Amino acid sequence: MIHLNEVSKQFAGKKQVTALDNLSLHVPKGEMTSIVGPSGSGKSTLLNLIGGLDKPTSGTITLDGTRLDQVSDDDLTRVRRDKIGFIFQFFHLLPTLTCLQNVALPLHLRGWSQAKCDERARELLDLVRLEKRLTHLPDELSGGERQRVAIARALSVYPPVLLADEPTGNLDSATGAEILRLICDLHARLNATILVVTHDAAVARSCQRGIRLCDGRIVEDIRQ
Amino acid sequence: MMLFRLLTLPYVRKHKLRTALTVAGVALGVIIFVAMRTANDSVLYGFQKTVDRITGKAQLQITSGDGGFPEEILERAQAVPEVEVAVPVIEANAGTGKQGQGNLFILAVDMTGDRSLRDYDLESGEEAVIDDPLVFLAQPDSIMITREYAAQNGITSGSKIALETMQGRKQFTVRGIMKPGGLAGAFGGNLAIMDIYAAQNVFGRGRTFDRIDLSLKPGVSIDQGRAAVERALGNGLDVETPASRGKQFESITKIFSIGATLNSLFALLIGLFIIYNTFAVAVAQRRPEIGVLRSLGATRRQVRGLLLIESVVLGIAGSAIGIVLGLAMARGMARYIGTYISDLYGLAQHTEEITADPFTLSMAFAAGLVTSVIAACIPAQKAAQVDPVSALRKGSHESFQESESRKRILGAFTFASIALIFWFWGGKSGFRLLTGYLSVVAAAVLLTPAFVRLLVRWMRPVLRLILPVEGALAADSLMQAPKRTSATVAALMLSISLVIGLGGVANASYASITDWMNAAINPDLFVGPSEQISERSFRFSASLGDEMRAMDFVEEVQSVRTTRVRFDSTLVMVVATDMESLSRRAHPKVIAGDARAMFRDAAAGKAVILADNLAMMHNLKLGDTVEIPSPAGILKLPVAGIILDYSDQQGALLMDRTLYIRNWGDDTVNVFRVYLKHGVAPEAGKRGILEKLGDRSRLFVMTNAQVRAYITKVIDQWFGLTYMQIFVAVLVAVLGIVNSLTVSITDRRRELGVLQAVGGLRRQVRQAIWMEAAGIGAVSILLGLALGAIILAYYLGVIRDEVAGIRLEYTYPFGIAALMIPFMMAVAWASALGPGESAVRASLVEALEYE
Amino acid sequence: MSRAWLGLILSAATGFAQDARQIMQQAQDRAKSASQRYEGTLQVLDGKSKITEKRWTYQRTGAAGDSKAVLRFTAPAEVKGVALLVVNHPDRASDQWMWTPSLQRERRIAFQDRSTRFFGTDFSFEDLEERDVSQFDYQLADEEQLGGAAVWKVISRPKKTKSSQYSHAHLWVDKQRFVIVKIESFKDARLIRRIVYRDFRQVQGIWTPFVVEVEDTNRKGRTMLKTDKLEYNLPLKEENFTLQALRRES
Repeated sequence: MIHLNEVSKQFAGKKQVTALDNLSLHVPKGEMTSIVGPSGSGKSTLLNLIGGLDKPTSGTITLDGTRLDQVSDDDLTRVRRDKIGFIFQFFHLLPTLTCLQNVALPLHLRGWSQAKCDERARELLDLVRLEKRLTHLPDELSGGERQRVAIARALSVYPPVLLADEPTGNLDSATGAEILRLICDLHARLNATILVVTHDAAVARSCQRGIRLCDGRIVEDIRQ
Repeated sequence: MMLFRLLTLPYVRKHKLRTALTVAGVALGVIIFVAMRTANDSVLYGFQKTVDRITGKAQLQITSGDGGFPEEILERAQAVPEVEVAVPVIEANAGTGKQGQGNLFILAVDMTGDRSLRDYDLESGEEAVIDDPLVFLAQPDSIMITREYAAQNGITSGSKIALETMQGRKQFTVRGIMKPGGLAGAFGGNLAIMDIYAAQNVFGRGRTFDRIDLSLKPGVSIDQGRAAVERALGNGLDVETPASRGKQFESITKIFSIGATLNSLFALLIGLFIIYNTFAVAVAQRRPEIGVLRSLGATRRQVRGLLLIESVVLGIAGSAIGIVLGLAMARGMARYIGTYISDLYGLAQHTEEITADPFTLSMAFAAGLVTSVIAACIPAQKAAQVDPVSALRKGSHESFQESESRKRILGAFTFASIALIFWFWGGKSGFRLLTGYLSVVAAAVLLTPAFVRLLVRWMRPVLRLILPVEGALAADSLMQAPKRTSATVAALMLSISLVIGLGGVANASYASITDWMNAAINPDLFVGPSEQISERSFRFSASLGDEMRAMDFVEEVQSVRTTRVRFDSTLVMVVATDMESLSRRAHPKVIAGDARAMFRDAAAGKAVILADNLAMMHNLKLGDTVEIPSPAGILKLPVAGIILDYSDQQGALLMDRTLYIRNWGDDTVNVFRVYLKHGVAPEAGKRGILEKLGDRSRLFVMTNAQVRAYITKVIDQWFGLTYMQIFVAVLVAVLGIVNSLTVSITDRRRELGVLQAVGGLRRQVRQAIWMEAAGIGAVSILLGLALGAIILAYYLGVIRDEVAGIRLEYTYPFGIAALMIPFMMAVAWASALGPGESAVRASLVEALEYE
Repeated sequence: MSRAWLGLILSAATGFAQDARQIMQQAQDRAKSASQRYEGTLQVLDGKSKITEKRWTYQRTGAAGDSKAVLRFTAPAEVKGVALLVVNHPDRASDQWMWTPSLQRERRIAFQDRSTRFFGTDFSFEDLEERDVSQFDYQLADEEQLGGAAVWKVISRPKKTKSSQYSHAHLWVDKQRFVIVKIESFKDARLIRRIVYRDFRQVQGIWTPFVVEVEDTNRKGRTMLKTDKLEYNLPLKEENFTLQALRRES
């Protein structure tokens, strides 16, 4: 599903920083993988590259058969829209939109009709067990609830790939566990390919595969 | 200061564009103020200096408005025991016909003896400035020019130069060259001296002088001298010091001044919102930073102080830039105003240098600074109230609290009531109008947030209809930051209302003047000494009228003499013509009195007719007695009627020509109004007159259409400056939108990042921003067009009561409003282009970063 | 007396004058004639001894301050026809008008302008008028030798100071001929103008200077007037000495 071949990413600045160093990785379809490592090891950069938010300095990235390093910005956006769901540490919900609207946003962006958007959004919120919070604003929700909204949004079109960047990082441990259960549950039910960047040992343990990064290189790659 | 260096400077560096926009917001207001005031001051100062220079050693001057008076006055003045010397002067402005050389200002003095040379300090020691004084006097083509002019044009003594005169283009012989400095420095050296009696002929002045310069016997004070001269000459003539003569121009430039002050205040007000916006956003953005500061032990005062220092620095920068650019602009504007006044009033004037009045500059500086600080006050207060704990939490957003809204609306109602009270009651007109005007603006500004919320809510479905996602996003963004949106809308609304107000005035003026022209400007031909009807250097002898009357294609000729007389310290126009003929031919709109009776009384020389604006400005009513100073003494005549007449901005007064000739001892003519026999084409009539008289006299025949075009051109010129101010106001507003959108986009970078991360295409993001701009534009236009309707009423009031006394009919300028809609929408869209692009080009990773 | 150079004609006679007043009366009486006419050549030298030359004809009728005179320029061409009419009054300053033919109009020379220079010469307009001796107070200051002749030095002061630019003048009168040979006019302590009369010839019994030299101390040059074709007591019509006549004859 995801192929990285000798991918490097350097950030220009006063001193050139190498975030990823000649990294190769293959993630088969349906696998749930955790990425761990110390700060600055390149975890988030790896996720951003796979999610098409950024482009590699060298090397190739293939997602579901599409070479991400070769397509235009708009095509990259389409890949994101159709194949990837993002889950952020800070949820990144739009504060003026209700839960329903937030979840429906990606669907609207694809030009779906209002009715269709609403129907799907309800279904997704149902999935994350927030069917009672449809018209609430994000501010009125707890952290765990917000993350569930964010997950529902990430699932909008049931993308084959879910990318989660510290999904539990901003939550207390109980809530974090709840979210983790949700993600695992979704993985099981939707058979999505999931990459989770995490510091949380519990999260890493619940994944089928664990990758450890250090200085932009894979130093450990374990399948449980 | 430490805080300033550590916190402010990096922030400024990071937000260069926004800082620049904020500074520009202050600067533009200051520019208008400085430029207009300085230009006005410079023109006035230019007049003053010119008056000084061409005054010689005179302590007092005798004038009669601007019309001149009979020669005999001179001997009477010379006979006054307190008078040491009294010398006559004629001033004229003569074209040289040379490209780029402009006119020569002719100062005609008595060249008998060498007094003039000494009084004007023209001699240069041993070298005689005049080759042969007797030849100079004996030959009426003698002229003396400045060394500067001679050098520029390669003229030496004995050279010929051509000048436009009453006798057509005439060759003059240079028989003297003035040394530089003093008088020769006036008009940038474009000055020539002639013998006064020769000038009387050449410029058709008959036996009149323009003024007499007096110096008094040693030991006689100015006041004693003035009293003695007034006793001897009667009080129909003006006896003034040269300095106070320049004051007459003040009332002319005042018109420009009032408008400029109002408009620069407006610009500063718009600037206020831009600054407020920037600061409010800066505070919001730096909340975490401020929170950290507070948690590290910074007091509320320190935080507030930091923000205020920032505003002071911005204010200083903006004011300084504004002053520099304003002064640069003043030069061009001074030339414009100077030319306008010269053209209209026939005054020769050169505004070569600009005069920076320290008072104006400090006022401008203070205004810029105060605006900036006031704008920063509320955000600074907000910053001081930041709670360290909550500030460190992520993701806060602003909204209006209910109590705040209530206070605002209450304030708005208070101001609106004040405006209403002053509109109907009020007291002194200027105060009444200004208070009302400011109250209306204040009320409108206070109500803006409420209107914005309302309108955006209404607009949301509309926007969604156009582009469902983008529209909704745009509307939500507008509602999400009501303060930001309101400040921008307020700025834009104010500038749109300014355009509507000023445009409405322009429209109404054109309409009224067209009406007047239709009623009053109906002769087939105008025969004048210049293409400019206002030319006053040249005048015709009365006999020319008789010659035209004798032409077989001419039906009737009205001889018109226009001059200006002092009237309550302003110069108003006297129009002397054949009233009986006028009453048959022209049909002015009567404001007060009976048309037949007023013309009958005026024709009999028993009364005068006033222009409406004169009556307005001087509070005169039908039957009142007006006192008109004339060389023969003060004429006291009743007002027989008031008519609509726009002959002069300062007001005009119509009297019969015989009355004028009797009292002014002057039968010269400024312009002949010629009615042709039925069936004679204007062009044919024009040719006929030119054929018979053209080679004998300087003569321009203009058709009715040409005269109308000329008048329209004068009004265009008049509004030229206004248009420029409108332009600046719109520019300020554009800055406002750019500023607001830039701020909005920076504010929402993460949000826009998320949008793109979850699948928003660039196009969609871009369009969302455009929609936001369109939303701001639409709301502002709606509010601006409405506020403009009220502003216009105030402007018309100011014009009626303060400036020109002209009663303009209130007509909403729908045409301009219709133009404003697409224009402002386009402006809004254009100003969204840059911010929109920067939003979609920004790195997604950075946008989504947590820091 | 005639303080003026134009009509200044003093006849020679012997006699003894005890006081200044008598000397001056004598001088005026001896120069007395009913009318006069001459052609003058006027040379104005500036500081760099550039010379401009003009010619005029001069006619006078009446004498001793109650006279009228017309001075008409004849050359060069640019000034031909320009005329000056001086009407002297025994008891006050003269009236003066100038006529410029090209403009066809006269201009009055105002009292205030009498001290200004007469058309770029060293004369002032005031110097063109005749005044009766009775308008001055005289005082004999000295008896000296001047140019080989015995002279009285007389100081004159105008009785009505307001009508003169000068506060006083020094006059040198030839004892033999009773003619003024030199005048120095002062304003307070400052010398304003010096007039020297030369080349005396007797015409019809009147000693007449044929050269008059004037120096305005404010400028560097000087002015010379040479007289030609001089006649006294010819029949001149009174009506030729009016403004109308000036107009008519131009």
